[in-house]
Amino acid sequence: MGREVSESCIDSLLMEMVSSYCNRFDAKKPELAGRRIEAIGYQVGHQLAERYTMERPWFSDHLEAIKFICKDFWSDVFKKQIDNLKTNHRGTFVLQDSRFRWLAQMPVDPSIENVDLSQDPSALAENKATQAMSMHLYFPCGIIRGALSNLGIPCAVSADISDLLACSFVVRIKG
Amino acid sequence: MIACVAVIGHQNNPLYIQSFTEADDALKLHHIVHCSLDVVEERVNNPKKSGPTLNETFLGLLYPTENYKVYGYLTNTKVKFILVTTDLDVRDADVRNFFRRFHAAYVDAVSNPFHVPGKKITSKTFAERVSNIVKSFGLSSAG
Repeated sequence: MGREVSESCIDSLLMEMVSSYCNRFDAKKPELAGRRIEAIGYQVGHQLAERYTMERPWFSDHLEAIKFICKDFWSDVFKKQIDNLKTNHRGTFVLQDSRFRWLAQMPVDPSIENVDLSQDPSALAENKATQAMSMHLYFPCGIIRGALSNLGIPCAVSADISDLLACSFVVRIKG
Repeated sequence: MIACVAVIGHQNNPLYIQSFTEADDALKLHHIVHCSLDVVEERVNNPKKSGPTLNETFLGLLYPTENYKVYGYLTNTKVKFILVTTDLDVRDADVRNFFRRFHAAYVDAVSNPFHVPGKKITSKTFAERVSNIVKSFGLSSAG
């Protein structure tokens, strides 16, 4: 209750978690690594939802719950709100964060620069960078999925990176 | 005096039941808790009938029996807290206060990474905190 750790500890832990699963535990099966990281995120999101909905009245519908995720939940976890929310009113929501905190902390990998220059260098470097970054998005996807399922909304969550700092999470409600 | 507190999961599975009476009527108290779940369901599914506050977490007095009063509280994650008390003149504010502290203890217990969601809460720290909250409930309503 009330104990704090510095944010750099969390950042280091998250980077090490992704690196362990991708390079050591499930090095030959990146999909399995992604799923395991997402499952960790699911449990964390489940527990965080319990904590952050403590004094609030109930949500009247799915949109209210998603708005809670975008505003209060996101500011409790990432100190800012979601910048843009889109929906097709048929159970799909897109949450856009123009400066996702955990992506902003990551350094750009210098080994990407030693690539075959016969191909277009800037495109290839960016591709490898986004591939590396996308492994880091499994954890927040799991957090969103865990939080929503604890609120009674089963869903599937995936993420896209549009450029180095912005990403969007697509939530598809099941049933 | 509080006779019994219970935490019921969202599939109506018991996560924590603790009675605080010396008498051997634990079974009767469990039965009372079980019956009160029906009242909770009714309140949740028919919000218009039960009054103005249809989306508040504190459900209030569920039903009075001849010896006990039963209060309910429903969290956003569909977990129910049931309080059975033998006091006949309990103040609403005291019960709300009790549930607020109980909810805080529950959240801390569930945040334990070794706790499996859906299984019973086995943390001794939680049991201690609950018995402290129960003891101080008795004191504040007497004064």
